[in-house]
Amino acid sequence: MAILEARELTRLFGGLAAVNRVDLTVDKGEIVGLIGPNGAGKTTCFNLLTGFLRPTRGSIIFDGQDITGLRPHQIAARGLVRTFQLTTLFQEMTALENVLLGLHLHSGKGPRQVLFSRRDYPADEIARGRDVLEFTGLAPHADKLTRNLPHGHQRVLGIAMALAAQPRLLLLDEPVTGMNLDESGHVMDLVRTIRSRGTTILLVEHNMKAVMGTCERIVVLNFGQKLAEGTPSQVSTSPAVIQAYLGTGMADA
Amino acid sequence: MRRKLGVPIVLAMLAALALLVPALGGDYYVHVFALVFTNVILAASLRPSLTCGQLNIGHSAFMSVGAYTSALLAKNLAVPFEISLLCGALLATLVGLAIGYPSLRLRGVYFAMVTVAFVEVIRLIAQLWVSLTRGMSGLSGIPKPSILGMTLTSRASQYYLVVGLTLVILLVLWKLEHSRLGLIWKSIGMADNLAQSLGVDIARHKLLAFMLGCFFAGTAGAFYAHFIRFLFPPEFGFLMATNILVYNYVGGRGHFVGPIVGAIFLSLLSEPFRGSPYETIFFSIAMLLTILFLPGGLITLPRKLAELRSWRTASAPTPSPAA
Repeated sequence: MAILEARELTRLFGGLAAVNRVDLTVDKGEIVGLIGPNGAGKTTCFNLLTGFLRPTRGSIIFDGQDITGLRPHQIAARGLVRTFQLTTLFQEMTALENVLLGLHLHSGKGPRQVLFSRRDYPADEIARGRDVLEFTGLAPHADKLTRNLPHGHQRVLGIAMALAAQPRLLLLDEPVTGMNLDESGHVMDLVRTIRSRGTTILLVEHNMKAVMGTCERIVVLNFGQKLAEGTPSQVSTSPAVIQAYLGTGMADA
Repeated sequence: MRRKLGVPIVLAMLAALALLVPALGGDYYVHVFALVFTNVILAASLRPSLTCGQLNIGHSAFMSVGAYTSALLAKNLAVPFEISLLCGALLATLVGLAIGYPSLRLRGVYFAMVTVAFVEVIRLIAQLWVSLTRGMSGLSGIPKPSILGMTLTSRASQYYLVVGLTLVILLVLWKLEHSRLGLIWKSIGMADNLAQSLGVDIARHKLLAFMLGCFFAGTAGAFYAHFIRFLFPPEFGFLMATNILVYNYVGGRGHFVGPIVGAIFLSLLSEPFRGSPYETIFFSIAMLLTILFLPGGLITLPRKLAELRSWRTASAPTPSPAA
């Protein structure tokens, strides 16, 4: 059963089609990888799906509802939550505060309640925040300032915050880029655990080892168009994919 | 970690100043300090917007709206001071809604440009709508402030009024900054895309913070009108707007007391130059010195001094504490 269905997704920047008529389906409980060479349109895809960009054409159905053209916070509230490339975090807050802001969505606070509530979080929210940190292995760093955390921890914190927002579909933008083998292994284990707890995952990643080892299905983009789709072994042996990544070599020259 | 520079202590100090000034100094000092407190309101009310990452270089425009509204209502329609002040603040808020709503999508320097242009628009309206505002002749004959029908005739009583207003406004702003709303403002200022991705309606919160600032700027303007009793359009121009911004940066952006410290410090030091061309030079130099030597503003001065001292005394310098 599809949790996400994007049809004919298109985004033009001037005359350039950054994403061009891409059909993308993610089934409930899957881990799907979105790969492609630099500039293939992967991040634009993420921005379209999460409302940070409006599609020029096409529609996005999330969990049976049309979410095309909704704003990012509305999409997040429906359970489609993303992370960002690199370390987009609230650097001057502690790790726990970051996660608590992730809980914002589900703390039942409209502007009016926000206005009259105290910043001190209720004990149950702090407990939930600490649970998320425990789950992601960041519990020992809860009270450290985010900008003092090492790169690997910061990336995991990004995932922890997204988890706090209780996603049903989690979009991870390059979760292991810049990590060493140990760290990326830990994150990929984490991704599998998150899935086993019932969250569907769509991820963009350049680290082929991580992608091939974790994703059940892979969608390859090139020049904004879908080039191939299938299991890791199908995709990695597809001539079109190999050509896109390695070029055509002497034959074309 | 953040040091608890107790806001209650600062407020208590302000209150003590308030009690002492009329007793110790003459009407001149009362006058100067009343304007200092007006500046404190203006500086502190800009902070929520700045915390959201909105560079507002047009705060004086909202002060102007509040000032003219209250003055004209009181002068032409004999509206009581309390009500004219409230109307001034509310109209400033409405104007804030009108200018804030369409320009919310703009960020950084583009938003700043809108606010700068807006200061000029308001100034030109005040200058050219002669039948209403008397234009460049200036609006005079504004009634003194009154409370419950009692006119505050003495300088000292008017001064107590502004001190009271300032304390109430600072308390409200402080409560808000330390509510969850304040945390949301901070999150928008640090990484608005991330805040959005976690379900924060950033447009709504930015607008709310902006309008809140307009309300208090309008309040400050209304008090100013009835205190000085003469309004002259260029007073609320670009210079005033940048001064309010400079109070925030020189005082320090990192803590609630920053703009308060900045406004008191700069208004008192610039008092000898008030109205002269040297005022601009003074503010520029203050801004430059701060950027160069105290990027965190005056509020980081005690920590800087402590660091310097430990460098001198200890053979091995202690690592600087995380901000």
